[in-house]
Amino acid sequence: MGFWDKLANLDRRWIYLSVAISVIFPMLFVIKFPVEISPEARQLYNAVESLPDSSVVFLTFDYYPSTLAETEPMSIAALNQMFRKNMKVITMTTIPLGGPSIAERVTRMVAEKYNKVYGVDYVNLGYKANYVAVLKGMGSSIESIYPSDNRGTPLKDLPLMNKVKNYNDIKFIYVVADNAIVDYWISIVNAQYKTPVGAGMTAVMAPKMYPFVQAGQLTGLLGGMKGAAEYEELVGVKGTAIRGMDAQSLVHLLIIGFVILGNISYFVTRKKTGPGVMK
Amino acid sequence: MRTTLPVIIAFISGLIMVVSFFLNPQTTFLGNTEEEVLQWASIIGGFTLLLGVVSIVRVNSKTVGQRKKGWLFNLATLISIFAMAIPSILPVTSQSNFGSIFYKVFPESWGSLFGTAPGSIYDWLFNYLDSPMMATMFAMLAFYIASAAYRAFRARNAEATLLLLTAVLVMLWRIPMGEAFLRLFGDNIPGYINTYIMNGANAAVQRGIVIGAALGAASMSLRIMLGIERTYMGKG
Amino acid sequence: MTLVEQLQIWLGAFLVLSLFSFLYKDNPFYKFAEHIFAGLSAGYYIGLIWQNVIIQQLIDPMFDQGRWWLVFPGLLGLLMFARFFPKWSWISRISLAFIMGNTAGVFLISQLHGIVLPQTVATMLSLDPRNGFGTVLLALIVVCGVISTLVYFYFSKEHKGILGGTAKVGIWFIMISFGAHFGYTVMARISLLIGQVRFLMFDWGGSIKQLF
Repeated sequence: MGFWDKLANLDRRWIYLSVAISVIFPMLFVIKFPVEISPEARQLYNAVESLPDSSVVFLTFDYYPSTLAETEPMSIAALNQMFRKNMKVITMTTIPLGGPSIAERVTRMVAEKYNKVYGVDYVNLGYKANYVAVLKGMGSSIESIYPSDNRGTPLKDLPLMNKVKNYNDIKFIYVVADNAIVDYWISIVNAQYKTPVGAGMTAVMAPKMYPFVQAGQLTGLLGGMKGAAEYEELVGVKGTAIRGMDAQSLVHLLIIGFVILGNISYFVTRKKTGPGVMK
Repeated sequence: MRTTLPVIIAFISGLIMVVSFFLNPQTTFLGNTEEEVLQWASIIGGFTLLLGVVSIVRVNSKTVGQRKKGWLFNLATLISIFAMAIPSILPVTSQSNFGSIFYKVFPESWGSLFGTAPGSIYDWLFNYLDSPMMATMFAMLAFYIASAAYRAFRARNAEATLLLLTAVLVMLWRIPMGEAFLRLFGDNIPGYINTYIMNGANAAVQRGIVIGAALGAASMSLRIMLGIERTYMGKG
Repeated sequence: MTLVEQLQIWLGAFLVLSLFSFLYKDNPFYKFAEHIFAGLSAGYYIGLIWQNVIIQQLIDPMFDQGRWWLVFPGLLGLLMFARFFPKWSWISRISLAFIMGNTAGVFLISQLHGIVLPQTVATMLSLDPRNGFGTVLLALIVVCGVISTLVYFYFSKEHKGILGGTAKVGIWFIMISFGAHFGYTVMARISLLIGQVRFLMFDWGGSIKQLF
């Protein structure tokens, strides 16, 4: 068996090992390339920044724990920006597995930093089932869908929620999601109630959202950990996304290397054995 | 009865949504009905989630009961379900009816361990066990995608080559190191990728797909409301 | 770091490593962690629905606000469980029909009003050369891309002649978009791995450092 044949039949565990090393190495030896800001990230940042101070905004935690590495830095950066501008933040989730717990943990962590008071400066509505009914129902009355917050406190006992009846009282909806829920925030909420919607998405979902940005239905977009790093850079929070960029870079280069190597071995062995034989 | 009643209910519940779109919910009777119907839909939706849990409990109990191969793992699943669920439904204070009875038996200081709030057993199990495990399940995909890129991502024909080249270009563009590298060939290259690939060809294709899917969803919705589409009812 | 914090990090790390061990080969540690994961996730739903739906949306409004009629959605919800009894399973269709009809009613409007119309309008781009070469080029790409993609997914007529040619252009556009998707997907998966490696290196690693 020649070199290229051996390469073509390389045990997958060697590939796994090289990926692991490429992730670990940059965490030990920091390289730090500057993060460039995409126009979509800047648009989202500017949309929030241009809102009057003390505006009431929605921040959704529409993601599962599986994608925390990409989405949590977006939520943290957004909360920093919002609290710094003294905005009143209402958080919620359409995710049954973990959504309310993540929203509770992350929001309280950032709120503490800015000495924000629960019920006055921010409220976590938590989860209610059937996202279509939830999104549509809040158009008439948030209280009809959420009679109480995540911990069971009636909304009427929360000073912030006395000022907010439905989407008409919300200045901006900042969706952080790892699934197609943004489609519904756009098609059900933005289309009918005209509240601007901006989104931070996992990289898997982000390419799908470009037509909505182009059509003006989505005010800004963050895509994956790079998008999160861009937002951290804009807000001035040095979080886990920026710190993860070195490892991200190295593994991307490794995978590009794999693609090139795989194709070379494909063409070399195909010449020898004819097309279709290569594994 | 078994089919007609659900079809009538689906029609009415859908029609309320359609008609109320054109009415001001705050001033009309139908608008208020819409609010109530959506509230009901959210409540019923919650129960559907429990169906899955009941199924898991049934399947695992059966395996454990019959001592089938690997039943100890199924027992671990059952223990985990109840370890998470039981503390979460216990009363947090003695103010409720059940709470007043419960805290006559147990000390009230245990209250903070129950329910779903931060500091509870439920929250602890989620944050320190469930959440990292779910993240790990998905993190493993990084290894598989690297292996797939090496083994299956081949420039077999013109279309595959186009896909491969775009993927490589986008992978380079989305990392700081790659952006710096692309700028060596021209300062505007990263900008061109964003404009002509992501906001150009990609946005166009995704737009075609979402328009097609939305038309499909709308027509399927109409079929459900009119009772033409009944597969969701199952057999019988 | 307190003893409790140490314990929770070690427990988390043990389960994370057990799951990662599957990369080498299937083993009992992996199976154990996998089953615990499935159980905890299922248990999470029970707590969530109990607190956020049954207590907050049903019991509290019924008993504290006197909204007795909420007993009906509660009953409709319970009817769902009729699925587990073959003889009575058809009853669950009533609740299911309510949800399906409701969602269909919302979708019928929102998909047309919120997606089809605005996306179609956004494709009607000006090709006026006075807008500059870059803008016209982008408009051309978008218009050609949308039309050819729609044609590619139009299966009611055989792809021959002009239809076939346009579909061929469509597949080229689709390949570019899927390539971009693949690039982004690689990025997503690696980000998740980075998150878990960070946990093992810094949280668990920090805990080991403290021990020795």
